[in-house]
Amino acid sequence: MPVFANYHCKTTIDCQQGAVRAVRYNVDGSYCMSCGSDKKIKLWNPATGLLLKTYGGHADEVTDVAGSCDSSYIVSSSLDKSIIYWDVSTGTPVRRLRSHAGGVRCVCFNEDSSITISGGRDNAVMCWDIRTRRLDPVQVMKDARDCITTVLTNENKIYAASLDGCIRHYDIRVGEMTCDKIGEPVTYLAKTQDEQCLVAGCQDSVVRLIDCETGGLLSEYKGHRADDYHIECGILANDAHIVAGSSAGDAYIWDLLEGKVLQRIRISDNGGVVHSLATHPRRSEELLFARRRDMYVFTTDLQIEEEQL
Amino acid sequence: MDDEESLHRFGTPLPPLEKDVVPAKKPLAIEDQIVKDENGMRRFHGAFTGGFSAGFWNTVGSLEGWTPQTFKSSRAEKATPRAQQRPEDFMDKEDLGEFGIAPQGIRTREEFAKESEEEQRTGQRKRKLMQPEQVGPIPGVPVLEHLLRPVRDKVAVRILKSMGWKPGQGVGPRQTRKEKRLASARNKREQYLLDHYGAEGLPSLDQLQNAAVEEGNDDDDDEDDEEITFAPNDYEPIFYTPKENRFGMSYSGLSRDPILSKSSSSHPAAPMQHINLFGQLETQPKQKQLSIRGQAFGVGAFEEEDDDIYARDDLTRYDFSLADKKPKQKKIQHVQQRHVIDGFSEDKSEAALHKPYAIDLPRDFKPRNWLQRRSRFEPMDSERAKKLEARNEYKKTGLGRHDLNPDQRAQLLGEQKSQKEEQQQQQQQQQPQPPSRNPFKDRGKLLELINAKSEGFTKGGLITEEELPKAETAATAMAKQVKESNTTIQEKAVLKTKDLASATPSGGFKPFLADEAKQERYDKFLDAQLKTDAEITEFLANMQPVTLSLWDREMEKKEFIQAAKIYRPLNGLMYDRFVSEATVQAEQAKEQQKPPEERKVVMERNKTMWKPASLLCKRYNIAEPFGGSMLEPPKELKGKPKISIFDYLETSINSKADFQTPTIRPKHMEKPKPAVASSFALAPLDPPAAVAPEPEKEKPAQKKEEEPIVKASFVPRTPLEHAVDESREKPISEKKDLFRSIFEDSDDEEKVAVPPPQIATLSTPQEKLAAINEALGLPSTSAASAATLNVLRNNSPPRGIFAALFKPIEEAAAPAKFAPIEGNKLKIAYKSREERLRNDKELAMAQVPAEDIYGPKLPGKGPPPRTQETDHAEVDLEAKLQHLWQKHAPKKRSADKWVEKKTLSSDDSDSDSSSDTSSSCSASSPRKAKRSRVSKSKKSSHRSSSSKKSKKSKQKSKKKSKKSSDRSKPKAKKKKSKH
Repeated sequence: MPVFANYHCKTTIDCQQGAVRAVRYNVDGSYCMSCGSDKKIKLWNPATGLLLKTYGGHADEVTDVAGSCDSSYIVSSSLDKSIIYWDVSTGTPVRRLRSHAGGVRCVCFNEDSSITISGGRDNAVMCWDIRTRRLDPVQVMKDARDCITTVLTNENKIYAASLDGCIRHYDIRVGEMTCDKIGEPVTYLAKTQDEQCLVAGCQDSVVRLIDCETGGLLSEYKGHRADDYHIECGILANDAHIVAGSSAGDAYIWDLLEGKVLQRIRISDNGGVVHSLATHPRRSEELLFARRRDMYVFTTDLQIEEEQL
Repeated sequence: MDDEESLHRFGTPLPPLEKDVVPAKKPLAIEDQIVKDENGMRRFHGAFTGGFSAGFWNTVGSLEGWTPQTFKSSRAEKATPRAQQRPEDFMDKEDLGEFGIAPQGIRTREEFAKESEEEQRTGQRKRKLMQPEQVGPIPGVPVLEHLLRPVRDKVAVRILKSMGWKPGQGVGPRQTRKEKRLASARNKREQYLLDHYGAEGLPSLDQLQNAAVEEGNDDDDDEDDEEITFAPNDYEPIFYTPKENRFGMSYSGLSRDPILSKSSSSHPAAPMQHINLFGQLETQPKQKQLSIRGQAFGVGAFEEEDDDIYARDDLTRYDFSLADKKPKQKKIQHVQQRHVIDGFSEDKSEAALHKPYAIDLPRDFKPRNWLQRRSRFEPMDSERAKKLEARNEYKKTGLGRHDLNPDQRAQLLGEQKSQKEEQQQQQQQQQPQPPSRNPFKDRGKLLELINAKSEGFTKGGLITEEELPKAETAATAMAKQVKESNTTIQEKAVLKTKDLASATPSGGFKPFLADEAKQERYDKFLDAQLKTDAEITEFLANMQPVTLSLWDREMEKKEFIQAAKIYRPLNGLMYDRFVSEATVQAEQAKEQQKPPEERKVVMERNKTMWKPASLLCKRYNIAEPFGGSMLEPPKELKGKPKISIFDYLETSINSKADFQTPTIRPKHMEKPKPAVASSFALAPLDPPAAVAPEPEKEKPAQKKEEEPIVKASFVPRTPLEHAVDESREKPISEKKDLFRSIFEDSDDEEKVAVPPPQIATLSTPQEKLAAINEALGLPSTSAASAATLNVLRNNSPPRGIFAALFKPIEEAAAPAKFAPIEGNKLKIAYKSREERLRNDKELAMAQVPAEDIYGPKLPGKGPPPRTQETDHAEVDLEAKLQHLWQKHAPKKRSADKWVEKKTLSSDDSDSDSSSDTSSSCSASSPRKAKRSRVSKSKKSSHRSSSSKKSKKSKQKSKKKSKKSSDRSKPKAKKKKSKH
């Protein structure tokens, strides 16, 4: 059982791009990206808070972003119903994919970044072949009855969480779609490192841990307030702690097994919804939060770094 | 036309203009592109020849531009001074123009042009509008005054400036901060007075604001530094003009001066006086004596003043002597006086010493500035207040309940204040003025105050903290009043309503007053307050007279119950209809509280088949599940996601009832499958051991054969049936083809036209017609109605080209073998090509060996024997059916998703491929299928055309068909009957 250490705010970055809609790490967690309501994506060095690049080209708020496995491309989704595939170094949009009938909410790459999966407000999950110049989706899954909030994928499955209270697993290997109905709108979905469980942030202010195999409800984590926000949740890289934002300007960290609150991270005293967060893909000591116009980098090893410095 | 043709043409004609091509513009000649100035001189020269306007006076191109000036000796005129050279001599004409470097136009000089700094900044002058102190016939500052500015400041200003004054400052000794503050306060007060009571006119607003701003600034830092002095604020002091007349206050009569006359210095403050710009310049002797005269109408600015014909003749106008009238010029003595600046003299006029008249004001006079707009929040005059009070009288009588605040209402209703509130109040009383006031409490108090004053602001004034208790008492007093009046009203009401039936149920309305006994019973019934039906009947039975019949009793009971319901007291009624908001809220709160605890998330899991796209699998580096042989999901309509109009039309043709078990199966099922897939797909089937692939195909077909042909509800059982069933539900393309077949030429049809399978399988013509009608969604019609439908059809034998088209085929096909009988010939001619084709197919069917034919079984028995007439009728009917089918049948193209059985010979498959029209599935490329089909049909047509005419062959075929299958039997029969 990993020992839990409290998180401290290491850096606060004023993104200066309107409200920050989402914060994401790149594949190895050395960079992070923030999506702004000013239609731009910004690439940061989370350690120093240095702005590396700004990607502009969307016509509406950027909702989600994902970096490719080699960190040379970025794919972003926007409410302008399009997905843009960016070249990281040049900052130019390589492809703009439009097929969604509504704003695109979420986007992700598959493991080798050959396929981009997006989910949108048109209740559709679309798989795009990003390597070729094909501009229409490879496959469209229109099973959901409501807005898709998160799409995830591993080497053989696609997970899609929807506001209709279902998490759908599309198993490519078996050729089967499994629908796990929670009954509460799922605002965010994260999967554990061992891919055995899913962490689903629900609209009823509960984060639920769901077993992928059986579809059973393993645990519930309460304490935060979701209200009507799309609060994101996550699981730390050590698969032992679960984290979720809250609408009252704080974030919660639970123990995965016991379900008790380990730390209530007070991000801000004057409110603001902590709606987006990102867990470091490798190190469980780092966390990213987005609140209002700012991005917060939280770490446990504040002292150590100070010593190093 | 003829004339034109006869004309001779010379030269080569121009190429004809093409229609859409606009002839290109003639290119500009180089000469036209040279820019010239107004003298016709070249404006631009090349960079090497001088550039822009080269040479002296642009003489570069001209002759004299290069001819050197002849030498001119100055020897002769040595002494004459050279004409002064001016810069203009070296300037071009353009430079002197409006936009040149030395413009020569009339302009206002700098010192006249701009006045204030603001104007200098903006560079434009605004005409000041409506300066209130100048009330002249023309509003605003005179235009002339704007145009002409004094070059220099007035003397007074210059003096002031020399004394250290700067524009914007006030006049007077420098003040310390404190003094200045006092002064500004005083100024403000004076300004206020002027605003409210002064008849002098309005002070300019910005001055007030300036004062306020400055004051605000002063307040900011309270350092009392006596050392630092400031210039006093500029303000306009009030100049009280002594009243010299006996007019009413602030009244000025018509000016005695004519409007355009010069200003008289004796009336400096005459408001109606025209501004005379040049008054000072004119030197005209003043008229000493003036009779009072007025002019009702002004004289226009451009009119000359008429002689005043109505003026009284005055003797002073006449000269009585020749003496010089001019008064002798007094010698002005320049005596240096004390206390007077050099060059000035003491004023000795008595004007200032006029005795001011006392004005007796009327007793009810209230000074008011009528020019000032009044706010309705300011104290109003008593009369209006009275009126308003009268208007608000109803509030006191209790009708304005909604204008009361909750506390007042509570007082009226005699409600107890909640403990909390009382506590609060007590606290407040205990600490009448707590050091740190709770702003919310204060706000509440203020709100109360406002509420208390809500009767149209009758009392007016500001709501201040000091007024607080007073207002409270006022409010409570009013509440008391209201309460009292309410009680009196209630008492009165009680008195009045005493005589009426009271609201209690027992003594309430008497619905049965006509029948006293009944009313009595009713009263008793009410008093008893029974609940159950049995009780009521028992109770009433005891009371009701024996004479009453059973029915009457029952009726009475009902009446009573009804009456009790209807004539319930009011509050009871209201109880039923209304629910207090509090209870509703409470319920809501309960609901809100409960659910989160109650809500128990139950996870549900269900699995469905999902086919990942092959490319997706490839990209994920995963083998396609089931080797890619999974069924396509039914919604896999990616290519045509749009909703087609054909979705809604003619769906009945694809209804389940029409569905026939196909002898063709989806292509993908043919593929060799992995073990898993095949077991999945074919699990329910038990394949016979003998032939592996064959029974697979045959099984469902046979099953179908056993079932009735037209099935009401089709329940798919096997996976194959599932598949077929699914595929049947997405026939958009077919419908499109169907419509295309309707609207397009018949050229297509002859390639494509296929007899419907349903028809083939049905034995009697009536059945066929019914089947077709059903398939097309038409109401079933008799043969006669079908004939009417066919009215439009051209049944005449082919003529012209068509005859030629048709003939050779027939003749070529059957050159000598067959000599048609006259009657038959006609009939053949009448037959449509499609029909022939169809017949061919039937023939082909007949030739097919029995083993190879699939499809529903035909009725075992042979067709009943028919007479010649019925056969004829049948022929007609068939033609009609054909026609109908042609109209509505989908094209063969539509069947492209189906693949013919490979085992069948191409000739045989032909007939079967037609049966698939209503169903489709994935796979083979449509074009191929179509092409093959077309070729096949051609083949068959060739063959059949030959066979048609030979009776022998027909007989043969008949035999064959009899041998082979029951299915082809009736068709062969039909054919026979036709001939």
